[in-house]
Amino acid sequence: MKTVIKTNNLSKVYSDAAVPVQALKDVNLEFKEGEFTAIVGPSGSGKTTFLNVIGGLDKPTEGHVIIDDVDIATMKESQLFDFRLKHIGFVFQAYNLIPVLTAKENVSFIMLLQKAPKKEMEKRAKEMLEQVGLDDKLDVRPGKLSGGQQQRVAVARALASKPDFVLADEPTANLDTESAFNLLDIMARLNREENITLIFSTHDQRVIDRARRVITLVDGAVDKDEQFDRD
Amino acid sequence: MRPKIKETLSNTKEMKTLLKISWRNIWRNRTRTIVISAALVLGLMGGIFSAAIRLAAEEQQFEETVENMISHIQIHHPEFIANPEARYRIPDGETMAEEIAQKPGIKVVASRIVFDGMAASANMNTGVRIKGTDPELEAKTTKLDELLEEGTYFTEDWRLPSVIVGERLAKELNVEPGSRIVLTFQDIHGEMVSASFRIEGLYSVTSSRFEERTVYAKAKEINALIGDPAAITEMALMLEDVDDYRQVARELQEAYPEVEVRHWADLEPSLFYALEVLDQVLIWLVGVIILGVSFGLLNTILMSILERVRELGILLAIGMKRIKVFSMIVLETTMIAVIGGVIGLILSYIMISILSVRGVYIPGGEGMEDFGYASVLYPDIHLGFYFQIGILVIVFAILASIYPAWKAIRLAPAEAVRQE
Repeated sequence: MKTVIKTNNLSKVYSDAAVPVQALKDVNLEFKEGEFTAIVGPSGSGKTTFLNVIGGLDKPTEGHVIIDDVDIATMKESQLFDFRLKHIGFVFQAYNLIPVLTAKENVSFIMLLQKAPKKEMEKRAKEMLEQVGLDDKLDVRPGKLSGGQQQRVAVARALASKPDFVLADEPTANLDTESAFNLLDIMARLNREENITLIFSTHDQRVIDRARRVITLVDGAVDKDEQFDRD
Repeated sequence: MRPKIKETLSNTKEMKTLLKISWRNIWRNRTRTIVISAALVLGLMGGIFSAAIRLAAEEQQFEETVENMISHIQIHHPEFIANPEARYRIPDGETMAEEIAQKPGIKVVASRIVFDGMAASANMNTGVRIKGTDPELEAKTTKLDELLEEGTYFTEDWRLPSVIVGERLAKELNVEPGSRIVLTFQDIHGEMVSASFRIEGLYSVTSSRFEERTVYAKAKEINALIGDPAAITEMALMLEDVDDYRQVARELQEAYPEVEVRHWADLEPSLFYALEVLDQVLIWLVGVIILGVSFGLLNTILMSILERVRELGILLAIGMKRIKVFSMIVLETTMIAVIGGVIGLILSYIMISILSVRGVYIPGGEGMEDFGYASVLYPDIHLGFYFQIGILVIVFAILASIYPAWKAIRLAPAEAVRQE
């Protein structure tokens, strides 16, 4: 299987605090295409920092993040904007849709930034919303959707741009059990059917139970890296 | 499709979406947008009202004082200014008047015989300034014929020569059109001359002092009485373009060094400075209004940015370039400015249109009439001024949006997306 992401000796220190905080410590990991990985660990263990660094939202203090044979740690900010747009899908904890756009417009928006043709954009947005079971909510704005529905739109948006991998930062944290299971079913299906690489940071046992690989971080370092057969 | 065309189409689509997002964003907090737009509307109406009143006051004062009384340029014998007597005549005045009338930029030249004297009715007498003039040229210069409130303008063929006097003077002398008055003055030799005149008309100007003192008669009749049929002590000039007054006055002074050439600003320095001060006041007033509204706009947009840090972080995180986020904030600010600006300009236009007909009463204005100020002003503003103000508002709105937009693009996406 193709390696999608590789990190070498990844470290991150937040030195702007009164006492410098070592958020990541020598993290060496590889993620293969189609993996469904959960990054777990107690609060402050570095899960979100890890996602931010491999997602190009934050720069490591040391080490390398190799994606598609390119070290994104050395990229300029303007290059990172394009890189994120083309290669990475994001799902955040608090849904984070654009409230003034409808579900379909939210999903299309990222393709618009990618300068996709209009017809393709519309078709793909509809397809993705169908995939997450929201084909009846195309023209509804986020404010009129439930938390679970909003997070499904966020998943559709993250996948619409056909990214190399999707980073999801505690996507089920704000969802009730039914919505969380529903979202996880959808993500697991897309992972299986479309071979999409999913990396979650999570506390949620429901997510951990679905993941085929579980990486445990403690104090910014990899404590455990376990594989599970879920099928 | 050629790549360039494809790129352009794609940019147009992005622009449309950006416009759509910006438009919807400004209506997310409807009350706030309405409040700041209303502030803009009221600020604009206040600014335009001040400007219109200022322009009306300026035009009214200029018209009343300069065009109806003193004219753009006056020429006298140098001694006449201190001693307005018939003996200080302009040398070879008729030829000079004909020459000046031929010069480019000169609209009309009215030659007058002017001096001070006494006016007496059956029961009162008072000091007056007598202006012997050519009725036709005077009408073209000071529009004296249009200033008549009662009677006729040098058309009656009476046995006695006619005079036109101010309404206030008529009241003071207790006379009316058709009444007889006696004017007493010195001839060219310094001898006293008295003659009877019939009052043909009563004129009215804003300046009560002018109206109480100035008597118009026909030059040829006055000249006959003072003993010089061609005597001219004053030339009043109206120019094609009043803005040229300084240059024309300078050129005339150089061409005729034997006389004293003075323009309206020399003749009425208080009016000149009053108009200058009004200009400065207006610039500061409009500046402060627009600046105040711009700060309001800046504050509104800044608040709206602080409220959606997370959302802006998402846009940056998913790959929306900072320049586009910047453009979105500028667009939002500009849209509010356009809404407030268009409504403000339309309402201002309606307000000024109504006031230009109904007039604006200036409280206490009656007391200022001695100084040439009217108590009712009729504001009027040309359309170009509205466009200028509109453009100014948009420019200031764009300037006001720069700081919030800059704040927005300085957000670190990783931190912004985690904001509560």
